[in-house]
Amino acid sequence: MAESVLCDRILKVYNGRGKKVQALDGVSLAVREGEFFGLLGPNGAGKTTLVRILATLLKTTEGYAEVGGYDVDKQENEVRNIIGYAGQDSERSAYFRLTVNENLLYFAHTLRDVPLKTARERIEEIASAVGFADRLDRHFITLSGGEKQLVIVMRAILHNPKVCFLDEPSKSLDPVTARQVRDFLKEYARENGMTLVLTTHNMIEAEEVCDRIAFINHGRLRFLGTTKEFKRRVTVKEVIEIGMNKLNSNVESSLRELPGVSDLAYRPNARLYCDDAFDILPEVIDIMRHSSVKASVRMVEPSLEDAFALFVNGEKVMVNA
Amino acid sequence: MLKPFKLFYMAVWRNFLTLTRYKANFFFSILTSALFGLGSLIFALALDASLLERTVGSTNYVAFFIFGVCFQSWQGTALWGASSMFQNELGSGQIDYTFSCPFSRYWYIVSNIAASALQDTIFFVPMFSVGLSLTQSTVTPLGVALGLAATAVSVASLAQLGAIFGALTLRYRQVTAIFGFFNFAFQLLTGMFVPFQLLPMPLRIIGYGLPMTFGMDLLRHYVMGTNPILPVGFEWALLFTQLMILAVIAKLTVLYLERVAKEQGLHYI
Repeated sequence: MAESVLCDRILKVYNGRGKKVQALDGVSLAVREGEFFGLLGPNGAGKTTLVRILATLLKTTEGYAEVGGYDVDKQENEVRNIIGYAGQDSERSAYFRLTVNENLLYFAHTLRDVPLKTARERIEEIASAVGFADRLDRHFITLSGGEKQLVIVMRAILHNPKVCFLDEPSKSLDPVTARQVRDFLKEYARENGMTLVLTTHNMIEAEEVCDRIAFINHGRLRFLGTTKEFKRRVTVKEVIEIGMNKLNSNVESSLRELPGVSDLAYRPNARLYCDDAFDILPEVIDIMRHSSVKASVRMVEPSLEDAFALFVNGEKVMVNA
Repeated sequence: MLKPFKLFYMAVWRNFLTLTRYKANFFFSILTSALFGLGSLIFALALDASLLERTVGSTNYVAFFIFGVCFQSWQGTALWGASSMFQNELGSGQIDYTFSCPFSRYWYIVSNIAASALQDTIFFVPMFSVGLSLTQSTVTPLGVALGLAATAVSVASLAQLGAIFGALTLRYRQVTAIFGFFNFAFQLLTGMFVPFQLLPMPLRIIGYGLPMTFGMDLLRHYVMGTNPILPVGFEWALLFTQLMILAVIAKLTVLYLERVAKEQGLHYI
């Protein structure tokens, strides 16, 4: 399968008020055509910077990037012709006093050169697919934050781009709408051969949607592969979940001292990360019984969120690219 | 690359829809325009008509003043329209989407200024009509047509300056003070309120370089029959020369400033 997005040793340094901030440090990756690709990482990791570079909104300091075979620095308009883009926190980025339909029509026809008739048809088609057809005549200003975000996502794919960049697309969507949008995007992309690159903090989204993910932290690529591989490479073997979102400090310290325990965190229930859950389970129950703590205790598979959180929290667990 | 005309007419459509959605604002804009016209009648009482006659060959100071003020409405839009648009887009985050689309930034800016200028015609017309009603003895259909043609070329030149201001917004985000300075300088140095011929020579030299000076002078000449600052043909030639030079500078500036803005990211500016 051909490469749709290619990054080769991308370095990005912001110069602001006499201070240099390195946002990306030698990031190299390739996204295949038609792939669902997730960029994961904590806040300030460099995900948005990378997406902006690929969407021709930002210049690299060093390195080379191409989208659809076009150089993002030297062939900007060729790249812009084939991409769709929805930025982060962009839920206000349309004309407030125009209706959803008028906004989408304006952007599609004026800025994306979609013929009026086609634009109207596509608006209807996409709005129906994401359950928005009944709100097309509402003024943009009257929509909720989530609804506005949904319009912005719709705008990004109206012109049927080959590659679409979505920067935290489900940030302000409720879980039901987020799932609806995810399902639609997945189906739409498969049918149209669209490559989708999205940044997200939403682990469920990454797990459900992405064929592969890249994990970026402090501007460096730390992992590239499937979500399953990501979880597998986390050296935490097992997790014990205790059905409480706060344990008293004595219980906490006793649990932390058990052999093979590497961490205890609340997500939102207490999760004990250890080498062998079966081995220490009786001791966990003993500690709880002696402290009169009554809660469910069970062994669970580490989730992507566990891997993500453990990786970010001081990188206690190594996950290598 | 998209066609400039489509950028223009779709911008008109979008602006018109937005305008009609703010009805109170729309109403008061028209009211303000009429009030300005009436206010200038009062202001004119304080002026020396004989001095005006000696300078420009007409005693009709009221019309002289009104035709200057008319230009102010075009000038505001031309100089400020693009900056204002970009400031809104920067504030809402729309600029990122806009700039990920494949069109000429220069034509996007100029088309939007032209759309705003067309929209301002609605407010310009009452003021201009008051001016025409006071110049019945000199006005002719051809004179009005030529006067408006000179105005259009002059506004087109101003739009180039507007494109430069718009691009400056991409780099510096807040350019209100720069705009305010130039706006005030333009009012003083182009003969908007005081005949250009009365300005001291150093100020007149600067005034010759400003696109409004000749547009306004030609409008007054054709409609009011005033004496032009320079021979009419020469003024037309200078108007078109200014337009071409400013267009080239504007296009290069937009290209350059977009490049510069992309170093830090449009949203960080």
